[in-house]
Amino acid sequence: MLEFDQVSKSYPGGFVALDRVSFKLEKGEMAFLTGHSGAGKSTLLKLISLIERPSVGRVLINDVDLSRIRRPHIPYVRRDIGIIFQNHRLLMNHTVFDNVALPLVIEGFSGKDMVKRVHAALDKVGLLDKVRCLPQTLSGGEQQRVGIARAVVNKPPLLLADEPTGNLDPDLSKDIMRVFEAFNQVGVSVLVATHDLGLVARMKYRTLTLKQGKMINDGLLQYQEDPL
Amino acid sequence: MSILFSGRASSGASAHKISLGRRFVMFWVNHVRQALFSLGELWRTPSASILTIGVLGVSLTLPATLHLLVKNVQQVSDSFTQAAEISLFIKDGTDDRQINSLLKILQADNDIARVTHISKQQALAEFADVSGFGAALTYLTDNPLPDVLLVLPKNTSAGSARQLLDRLSKERIVEFGKLDIDWLTRLDAIVSLLRQAVLVIAILLLGAVLLIIGNTIRLSIMNKKDEIEVMKLVGATDAFIQRPFLYSGVWFGVFGGLLAFLIVEAMLWWLQGAIGSVTSLYDSEFRLMAFSVTEFFSLMLLAVLLGLTGSYLSVRRHISAIEPTGP
Repeated sequence: MLEFDQVSKSYPGGFVALDRVSFKLEKGEMAFLTGHSGAGKSTLLKLISLIERPSVGRVLINDVDLSRIRRPHIPYVRRDIGIIFQNHRLLMNHTVFDNVALPLVIEGFSGKDMVKRVHAALDKVGLLDKVRCLPQTLSGGEQQRVGIARAVVNKPPLLLADEPTGNLDPDLSKDIMRVFEAFNQVGVSVLVATHDLGLVARMKYRTLTLKQGKMINDGLLQYQEDPL
Repeated sequence: MSILFSGRASSGASAHKISLGRRFVMFWVNHVRQALFSLGELWRTPSASILTIGVLGVSLTLPATLHLLVKNVQQVSDSFTQAAEISLFIKDGTDDRQINSLLKILQADNDIARVTHISKQQALAEFADVSGFGAALTYLTDNPLPDVLLVLPKNTSAGSARQLLDRLSKERIVEFGKLDIDWLTRLDAIVSLLRQAVLVIAILLLGAVLLIIGNTIRLSIMNKKDEIEVMKLVGATDAFIQRPFLYSGVWFGVFGGLLAFLIVEAMLWWLQGAIGSVTSLYDSEFRLMAFSVTEFFSLMLLAVLLGLTGSYLSVRRHISAIEPTGP
């Protein structure tokens, strides 16, 4: 479903963020994207969500070359992709409900239908009791889960997450990953970028590893916990 | 509408089975909701909103006042229809029969509203009365004054009055005709100068209003930069993002227009007394004219259009410039 074909991305000044990266993510597949910071994880996600365009190569979703998508159509592509951000990017002066409802409002939902979907999404991440709260009053893990609810509320077929467990303790991280697993089990393709290698190794999913813009590993990660 | 996932069933409200009528109603409900939301936004930032509305109101007041001034001056100048009265001096030695037949012809003329005949004797009596030469005039052996026909044209504008004068001067028994029209043309020129000055000032002020509204909207866009980035990331089109800002512009226009109207009304009320005492000295029936309903709505329409245009110019430039840099 998602395919990278010899994709390179270099920024002005000559910095090469991605170097001839190729991989395929099948429909309903879940995979991790790992690597040190600066290895190109964020750039790769930006290419999928059309925040950046590749310098060379093609990014395809369902055999549609994303370079053919012109600017006015970008919003419609993004509606098919749920994106979860490391720093949540919630609207702090709006309630949890408003935040989660935003993608639905944009798509023209209203009334009972919208309320039902928002409640369903918040229920999946276990935050149904916080509907009327402002994001400031929530903990970091809860804010992250609001972000996830917002990403999945319009049931996108592809879910991208950039360091979703970046600032969370291991237990909370595991909870978040369980949420992703649950979505994956109902057929959503999930790509999670993270540098939490321990967590990745325990989860036993396909892992794509980037190093200085190159794809150095594609498959199960053989990772040994460092001995103390 | 899904570009990438053709089989995606539940993408957007349009895929749901909603009847056309209901969708039409929802369209308007949504717009009203967004308009009210924008009103709420203005309410939440009162100081900035009040300043902008104040500037808009004051800027609209000046052209509106000048317009009223022109309108009232025109009313005054229109009341001087006497000014276009033509005096036809009859040749000496013309007998009454000829004068009467000309009088009849002129009365039947379509271009003429009224003809009055002032005979030699009437003229002399009036002159004796007014000039104060009463006693001296009795020494005159014969009456030196001619018969006069006073002609009031139907169309009192300077040009057509002059045409009529040229035509009537060709009558056989008419010595010459006279039309005291110079000062009327001067007044006309002054009024039209005034009107053009109003136009220029109005255009300048309206330009300023556009810039002010554009800047206010630009600031509120900058304040919401993060919010706009998030909305773009979750798939909002530029049109969706800019709508609340356009509504803010409309509200600025509505309130600014109302403010201008109120200021002008207050000014009229304030001046009414002073103008009354001046006009009573001149024994005139002058009444100060306020806005008509049409003018009120034109003012409001103009204000709203300015608000909308100002915000549109700003929104078009700045919203597309904000691009998300995440995730």
